[in-house]
Amino acid sequence: MGSRGATVVLSRANRIKAKLQSVLEATALEIDDVSYQHSGHAAVRETSEGETHFNVKIVSPKFEGQSLVKRHRLVYDALADELQSGLHALSIVAKSPQEAAAKK
Amino acid sequence: MARALSSMVLKGIAGIPAARSSRIVCGSFYDNGMRYSTTVPSDPDTHQDFRPTNKLESGGVSLKDVVEQDVKENPVMIYMKGVPEFPQCGFSSLAVRVLKQYDVPLSARNILEDPELKNAVKAFSTWPTFPQIFIKGEFIGGSDIILNLHQTGELKEKLKDVAASQERSE
Repeated sequence: MGSRGATVVLSRANRIKAKLQSVLEATALEIDDVSYQHSGHAAVRETSEGETHFNVKIVSPKFEGQSLVKRHRLVYDALADELQSGLHALSIVAKSPQEAAAKK
Repeated sequence: MARALSSMVLKGIAGIPAARSSRIVCGSFYDNGMRYSTTVPSDPDTHQDFRPTNKLESGGVSLKDVVEQDVKENPVMIYMKGVPEFPQCGFSSLAVRVLKQYDVPLSARNILEDPELKNAVKAFSTWPTFPQIFIKGEFIGGSDIILNLHQTGELKEKLKDVAASQERSE
């Protein structure tokens, strides 16, 4: 987060990371900008600078006991501002810490 | 056949440049008895963008009612980009492919055709992205979720008492 004097504009990926970390107390986070994979897409033509499609892998204790829909909703709610400002789609892999450990 | 005919109709009547119509799939689709038309039937005066491409709003029915009815009447309902035969987004395409593995009737609406419908669906499910899949009136999620449910076998469970799709000739 930059101070007033220096305007540091974080990339969307970084903003996503920051929000998910604080709101969902993520213990593991992987964010990839895959906008290039969708560049022929009807909606992407409007915002041509990329940063429209991301893959998000997130591990959070808040996901424990929650259905997939609920987990995805938590992620979408945390990123509501981004979704209003040109974020177009997310591929979400949302695991609880136990699930993440089990997989490995 | 239908495609060539309707693109002739499009060019003849409305004189819409090809670039515009490339975004829209030509023709009408019949899916489980519901007709989805992407061509403007007549009236060259109204620009395609401002004209409802279906009869939803003119009947005095709110879009919210339409969505409610969609999910109530159709055991498997998907709001997607494009149509099942021609998806216009990778996620929508994936969702359709997953659902087609099951012998169930698939009802779909193309939210690219109607921004109002798009907003109504988003408000209805409080979900910001598409595709959106409803099974037996219950919101299931997007393509990630449906793929996951398919892989774990949960989707099969959910769909097991949905009647098999009827045989129909086009």
